[in-house]
Amino acid sequence: MINFQGSLRVLSNIQVRFVVIGGAAASAHGLPHLTYDLDICYDRSRDNIKRLASALEPFHPRLRGVVNHLPFFLDAATIANGMNFTLTTDLGDIDLLGEVTGIGGYEEAKALSVNLVLFGLECAVLSLDGLIQSKRATGRPKDLLTLPEIEALREIAAQVKRESRLAETQNHDSVTGKRSGPGPSD
Amino acid sequence: MTKEDRDRLIRLISSPPAGSKIAAAKEFGADLTLLVSALELTPTERLERLADAQEFVRDWQAAMKTSAHD
Repeated sequence: MINFQGSLRVLSNIQVRFVVIGGAAASAHGLPHLTYDLDICYDRSRDNIKRLASALEPFHPRLRGVVNHLPFFLDAATIANGMNFTLTTDLGDIDLLGEVTGIGGYEEAKALSVNLVLFGLECAVLSLDGLIQSKRATGRPKDLLTLPEIEALREIAAQVKRESRLAETQNHDSVTGKRSGPGPSD
Repeated sequence: MTKEDRDRLIRLISSPPAGSKIAAAKEFGADLTLLVSALELTPTERLERLADAQEFVRDWQAAMKTSAHD
């Protein structure tokens, strides 16, 4: 279980630079698949790592799938010395990725992202093109199995966009009195 | 999305153009009506629906555990 709203708010409140990727990104675009965590690609600049560590610290981040008696403390130094972390927090499971397979780091992920409003917050979310690129690159069966649906969703979403643009043009033309296509002669 | 837009999309996924990704997904066995339903929601509503599904699965698993112990 992951508290999406709480997690995104905590990260956005102190202006952590990140891109939502993985299953949550796919769901935000409309893919009807179940995912239990929030994956983000974070900017590895020193100031951002500091902000990320202090955003998560109150929620007791610990490594997921590791025996509990192993000492672990997620601070800026830990993040700087590592790259990708799979965490359990009081907000749910959050994966921090400094690098994404098939994409690269934060800058590349940001360039392949779109801004979506999630719970009133403007968030960078990996685009359908980015998701397809990443899933193709990982080559894992579980990722490849989702590709046909993501590619279909991209085509359907493009169709929706085309139609809404067309409707806007027709609406604009009807307001300005312009004809958008052949019509009966006066 | 208007009712007309929705109807157009339903027609599109029912008879997708040959060679399209939509046709490929349909052949793969994907339920494309779920994609159309999701596109009627805002991104926030989609994540809320995902959270509801997570909760349902958690409750279901808890109920199964309880009934296994009975």
